[in-house]
Amino acid sequence: MNIAVCINQVPDTASRVEVRDGAIEGGYLNMVLNPYDEYAVEEALRVRERQENTVVTVFSAGEKGRYDVLRKALAMGADHACLVEGGSSNDSRSVAASLSKAIRSCYEGLADLVFCGRESADCNRAQVPVMLAEMLGMAVLTAVSKLSMENGAFRAWREIEGGMEEYLLFKPSVISVEKGLNIPRKTNIKAVMKARKQSIVHLDGSVDNQQGVQYLDLFPVSRERKCRFAQTAEELARLLHEEGRMVGQ
Amino acid sequence: MSFLVVIEQRKGVIRNASVEVWRNVQHLAAISGQRDVAGVIAGDVDRDHIRQRCFGKGTIYTLRQKGLHDYSPQAYTESILHIVDRIGAESVFLANTAMGRDLAPRLAMRMDASLASDCIVGHDESGLLKAETRMYAGTVSVVIQGLRNRTVYSMAPGICRPEGPAENAVAVVDEDGISVSESNPVLQKIVYHTGRKDIAESDIVVAGGRGIGSSENFALLESLAAALDGAVGASRSAVDEGWRPHSDQIGQTGKSIAPRLYIACGISGAPQHLAGISGAETVVAINRDGEAPIFKVADYGIVGDIAEVLPDLEQAVLDLQREK
Repeated sequence: MNIAVCINQVPDTASRVEVRDGAIEGGYLNMVLNPYDEYAVEEALRVRERQENTVVTVFSAGEKGRYDVLRKALAMGADHACLVEGGSSNDSRSVAASLSKAIRSCYEGLADLVFCGRESADCNRAQVPVMLAEMLGMAVLTAVSKLSMENGAFRAWREIEGGMEEYLLFKPSVISVEKGLNIPRKTNIKAVMKARKQSIVHLDGSVDNQQGVQYLDLFPVSRERKCRFAQTAEELARLLHEEGRMVGQ
Repeated sequence: MSFLVVIEQRKGVIRNASVEVWRNVQHLAAISGQRDVAGVIAGDVDRDHIRQRCFGKGTIYTLRQKGLHDYSPQAYTESILHIVDRIGAESVFLANTAMGRDLAPRLAMRMDASLASDCIVGHDESGLLKAETRMYAGTVSVVIQGLRNRTVYSMAPGICRPEGPAENAVAVVDEDGISVSESNPVLQKIVYHTGRKDIAESDIVVAGGRGIGSSENFALLESLAAALDGAVGASRSAVDEGWRPHSDQIGQTGKSIAPRLYIACGISGAPQHLAGISGAETVVAINRDGEAPIFKVADYGIVGDIAEVLPDLEQAVLDLQREK
């Protein structure tokens, strides 16, 4: 079975993102593997452990700076890593088109499974997995937080507001994964050293007329509010009551 | 040229998030020129319920076929596309819920449309729509415009709340005869959590963080929430500690919520948490540390111990309710 995993890099959560002249100052940001994509890589490796002759290949669309996150996936245990070059990186549709082109060129026919993170932790748009599936002509289920294999198909659970949906999903399909699905394995030094020596395949991801949106403006947001301190809980309750903030008001 | 709102129902009840989107789109249509508004609801929903929840003008199409009552990705996509084509929708709007996040990109791809996710929608002088969306845990805002002929918008909760239109001239039309093909994935069942209020749909949310100290101490929050008829949420730290399930998590890697009142207890206020409450109307912070960043984004605050403040607050709330 062929499993593709699409990964992205995002600034680590400690990074302070600055805006200058309507653009992100990216130069000094520390980029890490998108946390949701760690669950995707881990799940692919777990499927490989249960299915003989399974090959896990990771794909990332963007610049050479992505070698680090591709190597991280290799160190976790992925078999191959591909850098998909020549596309745009801040438009989901273009990214999906580049990944789709790369995945098609990599396999004869289709991959059996494609794992993606639910979303990238920088933009939180959750668009690429479904777009990619539509472009590949594969079924897709998003934000899966529990998954089990059953006679070649999958039973998948998805969190909704106030409950869980349970699905049967048949291959070939794209699965975007949610936190809680698994606990990603740690990498050890030996695996990291080995991954450093593995070659990374470069694939052409250039696409035409796939841009979905353009940025008109980009600016920092202040969330500050003026806090009025109450000395006692009674005073706080009274203030909220006067503002009409309590139940039934 | 028309707008289509995809209205979400669960168990026959139209979700608050969808009512908000409907109001926003009625407002947009009114101020941005002569555009028709239509709605579509998949599932068996009472006509009176629709008219009570969705005011304004326009036609709401109901798809009552078997297999459409609960969300089914492919069946919903295909049948809603049928309505998109029928009315020639140029813009499609959904609430950014679990369903909306899954459905919006499917519709966008089938329509060859641009997609704006988790956004607020406005317009420029010429009436052209543009969407504002947040990035980097809500610290950066970006204004985007679709480059394709049509656009699908999944709208963030709470950030823009126009008054709903007063008139009720909505027509409800049953749309049958749409056949739906075999689907993959296939929905097996939905299990609803019982006895718990949903944080995404509640007007009042009481949430706890690491400062709560233990799973048991959440009983204080449960009790206050019960007095306020609110729901209980948690920060990522509290979820990572195993005190609450992931479904209760508020923030960047959890849910974005937009209650009228948000009470943050023992939550320090990391940017990743704040990303989930930018739609909250009034924010109250209760924390032992007066320097905690949460106070910088709160409207009201108390510096004090959760174990003392929460029972007092609950008592004060009950006293005020009795006064009424």
